[in-house]
Amino acid sequence: MPRTKAILIDITKCIGCLSCEKACKEIHGFPSDTEPKLSPTALTVVEEHSDRFVRRLCMNCQDPACASACLVGALKKTELGPVTYESSKCIGCRYCIVACPFNVPRYEWSKLVPFVKKCDMCYARQVKGQPPACVEACPVQASISGWRDEILEEAQRRVLLDSKYVKHIYGSEEVGGTSVFFISDVPFEKLGFSNVSSQPMPVLTANALGDIPTVVFVGGGLLAGLYWITNRRKQVALFEAQESTRTNEKE
Amino acid sequence: MSKSWLPKITFWRTVVALIFAAGAYSAYARFALGFHQSTNLVDAQPWGLWVGLGTLCGVGISAGGFAIAAAVYLLGFERYRPVIRAAVLLSFLGYLSVIVGMMYELGLPWRIWHPIVMWNRRSVLFEVSWCVMLYSTVLALEFSPSLVERIPWVGLRQFYLKWHQQILIGLVMVGAILSSLHQSFLGGLYLLAKGKLDPLWYSQYLPTLFYLSAVPAGLAATIMAVFLCNRSLHTRVDPGILTEMSQVIAPLLYVYAVLRGIDLFTHGGASYLWMWREETLLFWLEIGLFVLAPIFLLSRQSVRRNPHSLYWTCALVVMGFMANRLNVSITAFQRSSGFYYVPKWTEFALTIATVTAAAVAFHYAVVYLEILPKNLSPNKWIAENPAAA
Repeated sequence: MPRTKAILIDITKCIGCLSCEKACKEIHGFPSDTEPKLSPTALTVVEEHSDRFVRRLCMNCQDPACASACLVGALKKTELGPVTYESSKCIGCRYCIVACPFNVPRYEWSKLVPFVKKCDMCYARQVKGQPPACVEACPVQASISGWRDEILEEAQRRVLLDSKYVKHIYGSEEVGGTSVFFISDVPFEKLGFSNVSSQPMPVLTANALGDIPTVVFVGGGLLAGLYWITNRRKQVALFEAQESTRTNEKE
Repeated sequence: MSKSWLPKITFWRTVVALIFAAGAYSAYARFALGFHQSTNLVDAQPWGLWVGLGTLCGVGISAGGFAIAAAVYLLGFERYRPVIRAAVLLSFLGYLSVIVGMMYELGLPWRIWHPIVMWNRRSVLFEVSWCVMLYSTVLALEFSPSLVERIPWVGLRQFYLKWHQQILIGLVMVGAILSSLHQSFLGGLYLLAKGKLDPLWYSQYLPTLFYLSAVPAGLAATIMAVFLCNRSLHTRVDPGILTEMSQVIAPLLYVYAVLRGIDLFTHGGASYLWMWREETLLFWLEIGLFVLAPIFLLSRQSVRRNPHSLYWTCALVVMGFMANRLNVSITAFQRSSGFYYVPKWTEFALTIATVTAAAVAFHYAVVYLEILPKNLSPNKWIAENPAAA
């Protein structure tokens, strides 16, 4: 697998200045007023939990539930890491919103031509080698970005060297790994993080989808066999009826 | 001269007109004002009544068509032949109403064709969309003779019916497989909602459970439809056929109940069975309506043999089935999402109007086409049998 990009968010460093929020809104051309929760015009927000500032944004999973759910493939895991959304394919079924284990995608409920909105780690900028706008705007390097393996190494280094950190990197195992990591000095469950399994979400549906050929061939074979038996019984009944008529006629 | 070409104003026609008026306003609200004005959907509840009631219940209740067609054509249960057309018509209209429902359920309905050319084989919804397309086509073909019979040109009519006869068995087989896949995959959609769906409903066997619950619900709906035709539309189907059909429902419900129970106990959902929560109440309401009451009632010959009691028992099965689908799609999400979704009246109105349109179409099809055997009016009988007069 080629190297992918990632973001590390160090909750102990965040000062809650909202520069990331502002930068995000600016680069997307959204109205600049602050919003408390993720919305179609706020793809990242800073929430306050247990006296800590916790940034919320799309985790850009390594094996994303949304991309497996999207029936037309509008959501895609790119080679570079970000999970992108191709609005020209979207039909507005909203299955991605049902599927996301982190409750991230937002829908433009009040628009007449509504689309899904979520952070794609500034894919357009990353392609050009630039960092995501939010990371660039952070004045205290609470958010940093780079190659995923290097970023993960940095997170491990910080967690190992400083005993204040909880001994877990959120995003390293969750749903099979994500492209956004969090490290913190307060347990993650107190910061509003979802408690998800380490299994990639698409595994859940892969088994069911894998059963299709079995259903088609076994089911088809079974039905054809039953039809053959039914048909044969009808033929036998008809033959026997004809035979008995013939014998009756002879008598 | 009486003006017989003017429709008579009756109670039911007034009701239907009011429903259509409310539906028309709701459609206006949906398309001219948007989701926000016409629904109470939010990101925490992105699928509401239109999916839960319109799609999940609509498809489930349409399971009767494939079951009856397979029973007669493939298994040789000739006894059910008189109700095939009614069962297939019910399924066909059910699927049509689901497709109409998608037109207002999807955010960008003019792109409904996208799955034909944009494929994602990892998506359960992709498979669902293909099942809808293919099985609707199969149902249209299965139903088509009822319309083709009315074509005045003998040659064309005979040509079509002969061709239809040749492909019929294949159609029924393909239909049974597509329909089974479709019913299962609707449950499969919710496999991704692990951690969101309440443990009383989440299961890795959701596809199987959806399939096993749809068949009895589809049969019950078919029995109800035939009963209503016998009562109000002068058809004459031997009530004994309905009694026999109902004898299949109880064992199917029994199998479903056993599997659901085993599943709850093996994956740990059973610890919630007696917990004092709203979900638990809804769970027992669903189980009571869908499984316990019908199994008890259908075990009594007095219920099976009495068309009225049978009708109401089947109504319980259908209501219990709907409770299950609404629980899976709406109430089972509420605890994890923290959002208490109550549909807006326009959501109800649009779904009810769609179902009503299907019911009206069913009514006129039974009246004007050869769907079910009919009682002849005495005058017509005399006209057709002059010798007897």
